[in-house]
Amino acid sequence: MANGSDRRTFLKQGAASAASLLVLSSCARPEAGRETNPGLDPALLGAVGDAVLPSDLGRDGKKRVVAGFETWLEGYRPVPELMHGYGSQEIRYGPGDPGPRWSSQLAALDLEARKRWGVGFAEIESARRLEMIRRRLAGADLQRLPNPTRVQHVAAALLAYWLATPEATNLCYRRNINPLTCRPLIVSPEEPAPLDAREG
Amino acid sequence: MQRVVESDVCIIGAGITAAMVAAKLADERDARVVVVEAGGDPPPIAARFSHRQRWLDYEENPWPADHVASQDVEGRPMGYSPSMQVGGLAMHWGAVTPRFSPEDMKVRSTYGVGTDWPLDYEELDPFYQEAEERIGVAGVQGAPDLDPRSGAYPMPPLPLTYNLVRLKEWVEKTGVPFWAMPSAKNSIPYDGRVECCRNETCSPICPIGAKYSPDSTFYALRDRNRIDLVTNTLVRRLVLAPGGGRIERAVALDRAHPDEPVEFRATTFVLAGGFVWVSHLLLLSAADGFPEGLANSSGLVGKYLAGHRGVNAYVELPMEIYPGMNRQHSLISKHWMKDGPRDRYLRHDFRVWESDYGRTPRLQDESGTILLGDEMMADWRARATSGMGTARLRCYYDVIPDRTSELTLDQGFTNDWGDPLPRVRFRDSEASRRLRAYSEERIGRLFGEFARAGDGKLLRVAPSDAQEHPGGGCRMGDDPAQSVVDKWGRSHDHENLFVVGAPTLPTTSCTNGTLTFAALGLHSAAEIGREFPERKSAQDP
Repeated sequence: MANGSDRRTFLKQGAASAASLLVLSSCARPEAGRETNPGLDPALLGAVGDAVLPSDLGRDGKKRVVAGFETWLEGYRPVPELMHGYGSQEIRYGPGDPGPRWSSQLAALDLEARKRWGVGFAEIESARRLEMIRRRLAGADLQRLPNPTRVQHVAAALLAYWLATPEATNLCYRRNINPLTCRPLIVSPEEPAPLDAREG
Repeated sequence: MQRVVESDVCIIGAGITAAMVAAKLADERDARVVVVEAGGDPPPIAARFSHRQRWLDYEENPWPADHVASQDVEGRPMGYSPSMQVGGLAMHWGAVTPRFSPEDMKVRSTYGVGTDWPLDYEELDPFYQEAEERIGVAGVQGAPDLDPRSGAYPMPPLPLTYNLVRLKEWVEKTGVPFWAMPSAKNSIPYDGRVECCRNETCSPICPIGAKYSPDSTFYALRDRNRIDLVTNTLVRRLVLAPGGGRIERAVALDRAHPDEPVEFRATTFVLAGGFVWVSHLLLLSAADGFPEGLANSSGLVGKYLAGHRGVNAYVELPMEIYPGMNRQHSLISKHWMKDGPRDRYLRHDFRVWESDYGRTPRLQDESGTILLGDEMMADWRARATSGMGTARLRCYYDVIPDRTSELTLDQGFTNDWGDPLPRVRFRDSEASRRLRAYSEERIGRLFGEFARAGDGKLLRVAPSDAQEHPGGGCRMGDDPAQSVVDKWGRSHDHENLFVVGAPTLPTTSCTNGTLTFAALGLHSAAEIGREFPERKSAQDP
């Protein structure tokens, strides 16, 4: 006889198992997890950010985004219970810790740069970094960006993280739209003001 | 040791309809009210900002553990949510509160389909008004012939955003009036709650309490000692009094202490658990004289499950739209709720939102080229700021349910305590089945006409299978052979048993149903309350 909790337990265990396999296959470290994950190499991540984030952000802006991404990753609790949308009875669970996978991807970029050009990934010029990342992303479906936790490659995850921010929307439209932030109702009917040149 | 909780009125379920019933009884009657909820308490207001942020950041459920693990449903009913907590599914709701139309209550006599309700719009109007005042609805009077109401909204409407102002200019080129969707969101401070500040996450979570959620009603009543709120307690059976048709007690399980039985004894029992769990409880409670379940001499408990379906579309228009100004606010027209064709039944609402369809960032273009850095930004900007904007359109259309649109007990699928769980299957009436393709085609054509009126282009039309805002299962009516409850929600079989809200609807209209569930709950509460003395003042302790 089936039990109502069996299905949900199965789904949770399934998500956890898949996440475990992903972690194991990406870093071959059974103990890997949020508690033991040393985080992403800041220099390598910074080099990725410098290459893939738009120049509109400026040098400091890019550093700020990379730091925000690191903080965001630190805050992730693997296999969270996800929001069940209206009309959906399924209780779903998120992926495991993507940190180890992303960490190994950064290490791979660094190793490739050292083999090809004799210097680390953070030391090669931006165009080469972009070219390497482009090749790593080839074949992935990146027309729609899911939550960064579900993005395979760290470079795309960093962009997915930033593109979901109000800052990204504002920069795109060059307007102070500020989606998802607390804004007075009274100014709703007004066209969003242009970004100040200094903000842009 | 068995625990017995006694009261005058025992309300089972703590969602929005239950909140209305509890509040009205507590304010107007001298009655001891107990509310029993299978789930627990939602996070307090102070914690909701961080819960919202974690939902935005990681997609985490902002209402953690808002369900009872094994209390599941077979059949994947669309529109059903596993939410069980104080406040129910209305903790997640989008808080839009259109009324139904007068035609919704007389579809048989007007259009020859479905079943007329046993009450008309004029009878429900004061309870709509009361629901709007208790919940706190911000709205503007729509075209009076399409949107009849006898009183003013308690709050001015949420202002239209720049985007919606532009979109309103466009849709009204067709000559059809549109107006701001009424919403249970504070356009001004109201009932001790703050003004909305466009956080845009009303559904699933308002971080500041500007959106009405029923937990606020329950906790206020509890703090004033007007109700007892018993949580984490799953009612498993209703039991008849010996030799009579009255309900004597509700047998429940305290999930924190499953070995200690608990039962609720009351003068009146009110079932407020929504369209799934009310029928489920009645079917579980089969007894001598009621072998097919309590309140079920008609054989209609669990039958005629209803819900409207929708058709979505995206339209590209020659206007600048800035997605993110207030994505959960919209325009509505009820033009087609009133004037459907008499020969082929089709009634629908029509809503309009800002949209970023086709204008979201991407890292790969149509040719497969990877876009990073400035290329990515240039691609996004070119699509987003081209002088063209996108609107989302949606019409819900009325679907008349078949008798076999039903909830049954699945003896092979049980919860942790061995109770059979519900199996749900929606099924259109023959008339609605025949009209489905026509309805979807006609609505799609209407979207095309609107697009052309704005020199725009229809990008996508997508009919949905989901039957939303479901109701039924204990439909109301005057004839005990053709209905489960009367117009007050009182069981034809058990004089002290009421079903309130969504399960009582014979049909579910073609627009969001929650306000109607709440109004019907208040209508029931007026009748339930007659048995108890009037409270001298709502402010009395």
